[in-house]
Amino acid sequence: MNRKRALISDTFKVNKRRVGNEKQFGAVNNGEAGPLDVKATLQDLMTLFPRKLFNDALPQIVLKHQLYSIHNDRTQVDRQLSDLREQGELLMFQLGFDAEAFGLVFAADYKAKVLAGEEGRGTRGTVDKFLEKVLPSCNDLSFNKDKMLKEFLFTDSEITQLVRSGVLTVRDAGSWWLSIPNSGRFTKYLIQGRKAVLGMVKKSKYNEVLKAELEERQTNSQVKFQIKYHIHDIIGAELVECIPTTSGTLLRCVDY
Amino acid sequence: MLSFLTARQAGLDDPLRLRRAESTRRVLNLELNHDRDVDRIHSNGVNTIDIEVIEGRYMLSGGADGVIVVYDLENNSGKPQYTCKAVCTVGRSSRYVHRFSVETVQWYPHDTGMFVSSSFDKTMKVWDTETLKPAEVFQFEGNVYCHHMSPIARKHSLIAVGTKDQKVQLCDLKSGSRIQVLQGHRGEVLSVRWSPRYEHILATASTDSRVLVWDVRRASGSLFSLDQHNGDKSKASSEAVNTAHNGRVNGLCFTVDGLYLLTTGTDDRMRLWNSANGKNTLVNYGKVSNESRKGLKITVSRSCSPEFVFVPCGSSVAVYTLHTGELVTMLRGHYNNVDCCQFHPDYQELYSGGKDCNILAWVPVVRPPDVEEEGTAAKGGSQATVNPAFEDAWSSDED
Repeated sequence: MNRKRALISDTFKVNKRRVGNEKQFGAVNNGEAGPLDVKATLQDLMTLFPRKLFNDALPQIVLKHQLYSIHNDRTQVDRQLSDLREQGELLMFQLGFDAEAFGLVFAADYKAKVLAGEEGRGTRGTVDKFLEKVLPSCNDLSFNKDKMLKEFLFTDSEITQLVRSGVLTVRDAGSWWLSIPNSGRFTKYLIQGRKAVLGMVKKSKYNEVLKAELEERQTNSQVKFQIKYHIHDIIGAELVECIPTTSGTLLRCVDY
Repeated sequence: MLSFLTARQAGLDDPLRLRRAESTRRVLNLELNHDRDVDRIHSNGVNTIDIEVIEGRYMLSGGADGVIVVYDLENNSGKPQYTCKAVCTVGRSSRYVHRFSVETVQWYPHDTGMFVSSSFDKTMKVWDTETLKPAEVFQFEGNVYCHHMSPIARKHSLIAVGTKDQKVQLCDLKSGSRIQVLQGHRGEVLSVRWSPRYEHILATASTDSRVLVWDVRRASGSLFSLDQHNGDKSKASSEAVNTAHNGRVNGLCFTVDGLYLLTTGTDDRMRLWNSANGKNTLVNYGKVSNESRKGLKITVSRSCSPEFVFVPCGSSVAVYTLHTGELVTMLRGHYNNVDCCQFHPDYQELYSGGKDCNILAWVPVVRPPDVEEEGTAAKGGSQATVNPAFEDAWSSDED
């Protein structure tokens, strides 16, 4: 008798109708529930972002790899994200501390916060112009000098104003990343919190912790965000391995 | 399953459909079987494995001790318990054996009379299988990381060789000389692969993070370089422009139809490219851990419905679905790092070799016998259980 549950390809699977919604214990599969809805997941994750911590000056930021921790099919997630970006609803930013860490912000949120931050400042006009002209038409993460000068007709002094206001960050000579003003503290707290949560997993016996238990734990002063935010972050960035067990998902440290 | 059989019988379904469904079912059921074993000859890690294309019967393996072994994979004993025996060996006692580690071996694509091996002793040898003596030896200036002969070539018999040097050398089997050099890489060439669709298209991967695709008939450089961002220069830092990976590219594999190319790199990523225009299909496989300093041998399945790719990942082999990037399973069984794997297309078996000197055979799980059969076997049963495929229906015991 083969006690292992064998992998079955789709052609052989019999689709049984589930009677009612049975309570599933153990690892819960979200992927089979219905079609992948990235936008709804984004909105859920955005609620985890602490707005009060930054005095409401920052729009809600979600990291792209946090979505991977919720949905199994990464390729589909990537495709839906690029669709949302094409439609202009979502903006993606290169956060700078890791080549693969991308931050996602809803376009409406971003515009509102940036303009609110620019109230009463001289650079407001330029920033306004940037948001109106560049963002709807261009989906890139970075801009280089040629593009700014020729396509969008910004002058050098206007570019300097944009950098000062925080909408652009220097990437290298003659090119800039699109960025979120005042996001320096966000990055700092994120890295700090990530290290602290990873440390919590490492210090546990056998370097593993049940996800439900980790969510209940008390966080020290290093962790400024909600612990769930950090958990999605470390799972999605594959800094911990997710193992399904009968008591729930287990997070085990990946050491190399 | 029965529905597939009846549909095939009645002609409602294409015969290919049944074959694909069953192949896929078998690949999903791969596991270590204690009935199937491969003779253990190597005393140091196994670096490379190749199964011949014509019959699928003989397998070559090259090891870190310079030894090359030929195994017979076919089971003629009639018993399910079978060890793939080594038919012949180029061992340390042979005069012609490689002095250092053998990195790549490949059978001559058209028959098993010849095979080619390349090694860190800076030579590539073309061996005669009958006498186990090299018919030809090509000398190079640097360690040879890999070589490949086109499996479909009729108009040329070129072997592409990747060495520590930045130039990709093309050696001609017919004349025995190095006839062409492809310049374009800026680092050691870790992997070379001919396309299984067009006999003049070659892909090469190097430590300079780039993968170049060449047409060997063209005198000037490469056709194109694979760009992971598909030309979107804004995505990453400016050094990463026009690179296939953010680290050394050490694994290359074309799919069986030659339409897609897979590359793996030390940035722990695997990418799938459209081989016609070089575009990244952006299939996200997640983190495919890769720490190999030399080439890694990956392989794809054949004639299955979602194609699978087998990647050695640390001490296990990871199986991913090719076009969706989903991790299907991890095949665990080796005691140390796995270096190479090869898929046997006719029997849907996977052979993998690693630093623990073992070659493991992953065999599809046999279907459990039905309940009625178990009953009769218990009654009748003094005979050893014979695989029903070996029983014939015409000979009788009464004669």
